[in-house]
Amino acid sequence: MSTDSSTPSQNLALSRQPADSAGPPAERFVFTPPIDIFETPDGLVLRADLPGVSIETLDLQIQDNRLTLFGRVESVVPSDAVALHREFEVGDFLRSFILSDEVDHERITARLSGGVLEVELPRAAQSEPRRIQVNVD
Amino acid sequence: MPVFRLGQTWDPLRDLEREVDRMLQSVNLTFHGVRTGRQYPAVNLHEVADEYILTAELPATSPEDLELTIANGVLTLAGQRRDEGEIPEDRFRRQERPRGTWQRSLPVPERVLEDQLSADFHNGVLVVRLPKAPQEEPRQIPIKST
Repeated sequence: MSTDSSTPSQNLALSRQPADSAGPPAERFVFTPPIDIFETPDGLVLRADLPGVSIETLDLQIQDNRLTLFGRVESVVPSDAVALHREFEVGDFLRSFILSDEVDHERITARLSGGVLEVELPRAAQSEPRRIQVNVD
Repeated sequence: MPVFRLGQTWDPLRDLEREVDRMLQSVNLTFHGVRTGRQYPAVNLHEVADEYILTAELPATSPEDLELTIANGVLTLAGQRRDEGEIPEDRFRRQERPRGTWQRSLPVPERVLEDQLSADFHNGVLVVRLPKAPQEEPRQIPIKST
């Protein structure tokens, strides 16, 4: 039995909106948001700081065991404003993770509040041993 | 993808952690949010025609935990980063997000109407608007000669 790399991808998009076909313009900043991951009795919880990201501008999806979060951030300052002092740049947030089979992809839930994304990754139920029928020619 | 995983006990998140490590190494230079040696929070100050706009990124801060005061031309921001629920330290697989209380004082630009400040806090972004005082007419100062 060979492994087929071109298996159809399971597209369990959690996205709240269809992904825009147009990518961000080249001059936008993209940052890797800081995250926490911790264990709970039910599985794992991931929290990411995404200041400036709203439900409308957050895209969270799973494809081929890869969980990707992308949050678009629009500047709250008018474009004609003059910067007098700058300590941070405004940019989008992007980060992706590889999920193992131990996470039940179907039951992943997420919520966004106060610039923090929280993703719950429930542990998959242990599968029962399965007998494989051997056929004789 | 391996078809058989005989005799392997998979740590549910080992793959994830390895991936995270790899990501971290590749993005260290642009890492945002856990920059050390900088004051928290980072702030930007912009100017438009009739006001100054101060912005700060404050995720995981509830409006009740945020305090803004202005006195003698110094704006003081103070707050606390807090998440729901107490998570025991040994439960963490990865901990990159800053936490705790913080305070920062900033001199405000001159000619600001201190009593007309307004602040707006949405999606973890604080926006403080400092209206400019109207330009005063030049005033003659009488000179007394003795």
